[in-house]
Amino acid sequence: MRYLLRKLAFYVVALWAALTLNFLIPRLMPGNPVDLMLSKLATKGPVTPTTRAAIEALLGTDANGSLWVQYGKYLHQLVSGDLGTSVAYFPAPVSQIIGQTLPWTVGLIGLATVISFLVGILLGRAAGWRRGSWIDNLIPVTTMLQSVPYFWLALLLLFLLGSTWPVFPLNGGYDVYSVTPGWNLPFARSVVYHGTLPALTIVVSSIGGWMLGMRNMMVSTLSEDFVVTAEAKGLTPRRIRSRYVARNAVLPSISGFAISLGFVVAGSIVTEAVFSYPGIGSALLLAVGNNDYALMQGVFLIITLAVLGANLLVDLLYGVIDPRTRARS
Amino acid sequence: MLRNPTNRTRTRRLVSAAAVTATALLLGACSGAANGGQPAAKDASITVAAGDITTKNFNPFSSTALQSTLGVIYEPLYWYNFAKQSDPTPVLATGYSWNAAGTELTIKLRHDVKWNDGQPFTAKDVAFTFNLVAKTPALNPSGLAATASAAADDTAVLTFKSKSLMQEPAVLANQAIVPEHIWKDIKDPTTNLNDNPVGTGPFKLKSFTPQSYVLTKNDQYWEAGKPTVKEVRYIPLQSADAASAALVAGKVDWASAYLPGIDNIMKSSKDLTYVNTPVMTTVIVTCANSGLGCAGPQTDPAVRKAINLAMNREQLAKLAGGGVAGVGSPTLLLPGRDDDWIADSGSAKLPQSASADEANKLLDAAGWTKGSDGVRTKAGKRLSLTIQTVTGWSDYILINDTLKQQLAAIGIELKPSQVSWNEWNAAQTNGKFQLSLDSVGLGASTNPYFTYNSKLATPNTAPVGKSASAGNQSRFSDPAVDAALTTAAGTTDAAVQKAEYGKIQAVIEDQLPYIPVYVNSMLTEFNTSRATGWPTKDNPYVLPAAWKAWDAGIVLKTITPAK
Repeated sequence: MRYLLRKLAFYVVALWAALTLNFLIPRLMPGNPVDLMLSKLATKGPVTPTTRAAIEALLGTDANGSLWVQYGKYLHQLVSGDLGTSVAYFPAPVSQIIGQTLPWTVGLIGLATVISFLVGILLGRAAGWRRGSWIDNLIPVTTMLQSVPYFWLALLLLFLLGSTWPVFPLNGGYDVYSVTPGWNLPFARSVVYHGTLPALTIVVSSIGGWMLGMRNMMVSTLSEDFVVTAEAKGLTPRRIRSRYVARNAVLPSISGFAISLGFVVAGSIVTEAVFSYPGIGSALLLAVGNNDYALMQGVFLIITLAVLGANLLVDLLYGVIDPRTRARS
Repeated sequence: MLRNPTNRTRTRRLVSAAAVTATALLLGACSGAANGGQPAAKDASITVAAGDITTKNFNPFSSTALQSTLGVIYEPLYWYNFAKQSDPTPVLATGYSWNAAGTELTIKLRHDVKWNDGQPFTAKDVAFTFNLVAKTPALNPSGLAATASAAADDTAVLTFKSKSLMQEPAVLANQAIVPEHIWKDIKDPTTNLNDNPVGTGPFKLKSFTPQSYVLTKNDQYWEAGKPTVKEVRYIPLQSADAASAALVAGKVDWASAYLPGIDNIMKSSKDLTYVNTPVMTTVIVTCANSGLGCAGPQTDPAVRKAINLAMNREQLAKLAGGGVAGVGSPTLLLPGRDDDWIADSGSAKLPQSASADEANKLLDAAGWTKGSDGVRTKAGKRLSLTIQTVTGWSDYILINDTLKQQLAAIGIELKPSQVSWNEWNAAQTNGKFQLSLDSVGLGASTNPYFTYNSKLATPNTAPVGKSASAGNQSRFSDPAVDAALTTAAGTTDAAVQKAEYGKIQAVIEDQLPYIPVYVNSMLTEFNTSRATGWPTKDNPYVLPAAWKAWDAGIVLKTITPAK
């Protein structure tokens, strides 16, 4: 119980620190939203001195208060669940934009990460078990794919599989021409079809790390005394592989997996930009371009919560799957 | 470069659902190439590449409204064409007149116009719209201060506090008229998203999702026989790459994007065509006025003139303009379209080649002497200037790099810097820059008053450190120019205005607060397989950029389904 409380207290402090940084960092950026909106208006039509007053009145004079006042207001709003109003998508509330874009990101990147992890771990287990086999030789290939810059790999695959041989669609989350979003089969099919190529690029570019890590842990675990004991006891190789070796070898990968799950929300910007995918990364990109503090904070908040949440979950889970990490109580 | 989607065998290797949809899609695409995409050619639907459409915002007062709100769903009283010099086109109005004092604008309205919910459009709606704007500062970016009333069902009268002739374009062509019967019940018109827009425009909203929305023909539209296109779909394509790929694949019919090597892309399909309508002049904004806090060698007019003379614009247009840029004018106006407004026809066009000798002479006379490293100095200060532009604006970056070499020949050191859009914009509006590449945006009408007033008038600038977001970022201030602007604003007589603009043109050609480079291209791409009648080079009946407010409505009601 004390273990749990201590962990929770640590996470509360971490959350506060993250929230404060989240508040400060966007405000250190140059420019302010009013000037930005004005300059964008100026390219499309006339802007007069009164326009400034109009935009300020529109956005509220929020951005002009002292930093402490803004900070207080920010914390108060967070507690009451109000993430503020977006400037870039004015007057839509931030929570609506996040609610609208997050499912796409979690669906695509989340599933791709899980698939990449599972396939990588299974391949790594096989490679570590049978060193020198063809699976083992696959590792240099996958690590090479991982070392290729992701955006380049994504663009290349998009060009080859989207334009040269149009097997997959070029962009978007679903076929906007023929299906209507909702719980229906054509829509689900379309989503899967549109998500396949982006997911493929993520899996291809990240599988190498999981595979290599798992393989090396398998190898070092295989030389442990308890494996020799197990073999001496006459256990079947299958049982030794999955219950004795793999179970111990997978532990470091699990913590890595938790961290990467937390970053599912954050790590999607490039993917979403390349594939024009309607996720939260596109929203964040737009928010940064528009000095949209409220939206940036909202997105960062989600990222922070996701990372902290994933870590907490693993910390708790670790106590269960690896008794050694449990504190003396 | 890109092939037609015909290879169907490949999909068999894919598994399950993906394969099913893939095949369906490819079949769709194949038939699309054959008969123009939509089954019934008679009432074709077309697709427009839009920017971001995440939020369903059809509020015509909102600066973040979806791009079809103004012009397609809501209409103004008049419409101005920026692609050529022409009289205003009547839309919801049929005539207007000012009283002698220039304080009262009487507008005659069109009969038989209906809102798309069936209610009749009357002068009450017009009066309501302008009164709403006047009493709500947040809706009033143009500073309109008029009280409006409906004198009769077809006559609206706007009363201004002072002589306001120059408010004409803002009133007539830049204000969407909203229905009183809907908007009188809207509590906060600034934040309302207006998700069921009721307008008079040629199209109305059919369905919306954050990834595509569809407008459908307004059957009660006032102009007989228009529109003929049945449906218009907007899809978000935010990058030029995405737009280019979608065009080639036949997925969009109308896109506005600068595509490098556009002629090659257009060659890939017989249905694709494009039009170039250069209207925005690329200029080097100089922080020119040391009186308002500008610092650096560019505050010396001789330096600005030397830069202007040493510029080889032919080379710049070829390298950075991609061969599609137009020739600019030292008056910051548009040669061709604005010839009538240029007082001295000799200065209608910019010299295209460099005259380094003259530039050298000018700098020598101003006391800038060449140092040992080839860079001029004066009173111990090197003639070194920083020019900023935005990271990723590849054409502007190229201008800076080319200019660096061109100016080195006359002993000016130019240091190009690339910053984020935010930083660039903040530096420019706050005057914390020496030189900055930007373009002269569109005014309220093609009358040069709006460009000159925004870029040169003293009330539109601010000392360095304060935001000059109204447009005069050069910090330029000249009593003669201000007086000329005041005189021009007080008359409707074009000859008097032209004489005043002539004075301004003489000053800016001499002072060069903005050094014009060329007129930037504005490329718009069309697919003619589903609809025809798009604007062309010979018939630029609109400024066809898909993002241009108001013009989109004109295009969409003019095009007709392809046979």
